[in-house]
Amino acid sequence: MATLQSTAPPEADPSPPRRIVRRKRTVAQRLRHDWPLLVLALPVLAHLAVFHYWPTAWNIIAFMDYSPYRPFWENPFVGFAWFERLFNDPYFVPALLNTLKFAALNLLCMFPLSVALALAMNSIISIKVRSTFQSIVYLPHFFSWVLVVTVFVQVLGADGLISNWLMGFGGERLDFTANPDTFTLLVWMQWAWKDAGWGMIIFLAALASINPSLYEAAASDGANRWRRMWHITLPGIRPVIILLLILQIGGILSVGFEQYQLQRQAVGYQSTEVLDTYVYYQSIIGTQGESFGTAAGLFKGVIGLILILVANKIAHRLGEQGIYQKS
Amino acid sequence: MPVHSSNTPFKRRSLFKVAGLGAAGAAGLPVIAACSDIESGEGAVQSTEGFDFVPTYKEWPLPVQPDLVGELPNHPSGFTSYPEPVQAVTEPPSGSGTYELTVPVWGDTVSGDDPYFAAVTEAWGGTTVNLRQADGVTYADTSVQWLKANEYGDAILMFGWMLGSHSNFQETVVNNFYDLTDIVQGDIAERWPLLAGMPTSSWSQSVWSKDPADPDSARIFGIPGNFSGGVGNCVFVRTDYLEAANLAMPTTVEELLEVCRAWSDDANGKWAFAGLDWFIGQWFPAGDSEGWKWVEDEQKMYHVSELPEFTERLTFRRTLWDEKLIHPDAPSGTLDAHAMQAAGSVLFTQDSLGWWNEFARLVGTGEIEGAIAPLPALAPAGRTPSVTMNSSVDGWTFLNKDLSREQVEEFLDVANWCASPYGTTEYELLQYGIEGEHFTLGEDGTPVMTELGSTIVGGPMNYKALCGQVQTFLTGDPDVVQARFDYDASIQQYAKKNLFEGMRIEGPADYKAAASTLNDQENDIAYGRAELSSIPDMVQTFLDNGGEAAREYYTKAYKAVNGE
Repeated sequence: MATLQSTAPPEADPSPPRRIVRRKRTVAQRLRHDWPLLVLALPVLAHLAVFHYWPTAWNIIAFMDYSPYRPFWENPFVGFAWFERLFNDPYFVPALLNTLKFAALNLLCMFPLSVALALAMNSIISIKVRSTFQSIVYLPHFFSWVLVVTVFVQVLGADGLISNWLMGFGGERLDFTANPDTFTLLVWMQWAWKDAGWGMIIFLAALASINPSLYEAAASDGANRWRRMWHITLPGIRPVIILLLILQIGGILSVGFEQYQLQRQAVGYQSTEVLDTYVYYQSIIGTQGESFGTAAGLFKGVIGLILILVANKIAHRLGEQGIYQKS
Repeated sequence: MPVHSSNTPFKRRSLFKVAGLGAAGAAGLPVIAACSDIESGEGAVQSTEGFDFVPTYKEWPLPVQPDLVGELPNHPSGFTSYPEPVQAVTEPPSGSGTYELTVPVWGDTVSGDDPYFAAVTEAWGGTTVNLRQADGVTYADTSVQWLKANEYGDAILMFGWMLGSHSNFQETVVNNFYDLTDIVQGDIAERWPLLAGMPTSSWSQSVWSKDPADPDSARIFGIPGNFSGGVGNCVFVRTDYLEAANLAMPTTVEELLEVCRAWSDDANGKWAFAGLDWFIGQWFPAGDSEGWKWVEDEQKMYHVSELPEFTERLTFRRTLWDEKLIHPDAPSGTLDAHAMQAAGSVLFTQDSLGWWNEFARLVGTGEIEGAIAPLPALAPAGRTPSVTMNSSVDGWTFLNKDLSREQVEEFLDVANWCASPYGTTEYELLQYGIEGEHFTLGEDGTPVMTELGSTIVGGPMNYKALCGQVQTFLTGDPDVVQARFDYDASIQQYAKKNLFEGMRIEGPADYKAAASTLNDQENDIAYGRAELSSIPDMVQTFLDNGGEAAREYYTKAYKAVNGE
């Protein structure tokens, strides 16, 4: 038998409500209270300090005529002289244009490809087929660029598998891996093989978070597969797409290094030189010195920062959260 | 205190006129930097003759005289027999230190566990020298950062041709390496008789100035490597294939091209070359030295790229590519030309002359069949060939400035032992390893490497280049030695004159960067990625970005050498 509960209102507190006074805690009190959190954060802070902020501070040598053999304070400031030299260098602009070309290609072709792969994967019902497909498309991500380039040369190179097969039938050799005119396509193929599968994983996670009842409801309303994807799936993963897009735009001038460096000799520097290889060849192993390379790196960083701020702003205007908000 | 060479831009580029008394300050070179505030990377010129602080030369009598007597510097002597070796260092010093020496390695790195290393260590007195073996292909470039970061161990081996990768090697040397002057100057024959017996010119070429404008700041910073003399590089041809195809040895560039056309068969995997880039300049000799040519009539210095021979050599390379006379993967620069020539898929290799002995060894062990020989000095029909000769020491071992004087002296004990020449037990152990294990004596009495010996000791590096020998000779397979001696004799008349004799010139950084790009553009043309018609534009770009300024720099250097 159920026990009847009293329906009488609780007795009112006779004393007036106490005003909660939040006293500002002293630093010592906060330290005493939060020290476990601070200890947990220490390794990350140390990592950031040593590998990010300390090196960032050294960007100052972009404004100096720096020599590692002088005490730091004896290096003379030269203002923007290294930037002037950088922008006057006839090989800088082609490297920048190549970088932008590859970045745009990556953004326009690879990003949608990863989304498309994720959608395709999401539509596979058989778990066995799905896991096999997933393994095939994302495992190449773990191959080094040396291996990827070698595989392409062995298969598509002038003395590679297909070339020799064609020659056996009286055909011509392929010059695909050494042709600057087709290098952009080659780069895209290498990206697609190596990284498209990896890129889809995060979208798959986003897809998994969409409520299945939405699909059921849409299906019962007569929405076909295409309509369900357009009206449920894509809006469902839109915040993730925007977030990744912004991050990608921020790093737009970092299109990679090894892939271009490894193929530089075969294809020629004109087609393969990007900002990272430019800095490497001009400054790290070249004769232009540390200040020149730092100026180029700083330029790249500033452009990346501007792009990420602009992209984030646009995301806010479009009603998306972006990567951060001021409030 | 670190020494930066860019404090006085005008004085810094002063030259030392090397005639007569040697280091004597000359007039300064003009400022080259494009941006007025930037003073670094403006080049350096160093006299390499006429110093009074190098070790006093005291002849170290050779235990045996060479069978073939040539004339240095361009015609080294040789041995066609193997003498009973004698001990050069009868009382090896006792050393207990451990040092790390960075060396370049081409091919597989070798394990330090092999008995060879223990035997050598014991023989030279117990000092342990561990090798840090780095990829020889990228060594020159990557050494730039090791040196700046002081991350090369206690010593580093650098070859002369590697210096061009450094933006300011003079500054690197004087700030990184131990100044040996106080230890090795004067009479050192009592403690280091073999080092005292090395040519004075070898020690003089190991001198750098802390301030190139001040002759008194010149000091010895490196232990000199071998002074080999003679010709170092050539193009080898498989002579057995030439005979089989009934082709004559080419004597002109035009004949060479015809041989390439007659032998190559792209469809069946046969090409004349696996690569041809750095050597071809000798067949179209435009520049005299360092890529520059002095035209007396015009009193003007020309860069090689401004001369018609530059276009000719690119045309030749392009013809090889267009007519499929060169391997289709040649642009990658990753082909193993030795293996391909041994296997018979390429006819020619551009190489060092060391390949001759190695090929003969492989034939002797039955691993391959055939024969190779260097092409004679070639030039286009009607022109006189020009052959580049070794005119300086091969390289140096530099010691870290952080070592103590006692440590440096111990290392010099080791170097003294390594300087033992052919005909000594030290040389035998160092160059061939342990008898019965790394080598055996063949029927003619000369050492024949075993497979283990070839792997461990046969490589170009390990301890063998730690220090130059008192005197170097042509050695190895007697037939090869004889052939090489004859070859050297045949090309003496074509020896190229060194415009900057007695000087080590380090070009300005801008010029080096522009020259590097020009080199990339040459490859673009050679491999069909750009047209021959683009040559004037790329030369103009080169001149605008450092080439023109360097012309003045090299002109001043030339005039200083020639007393104008």
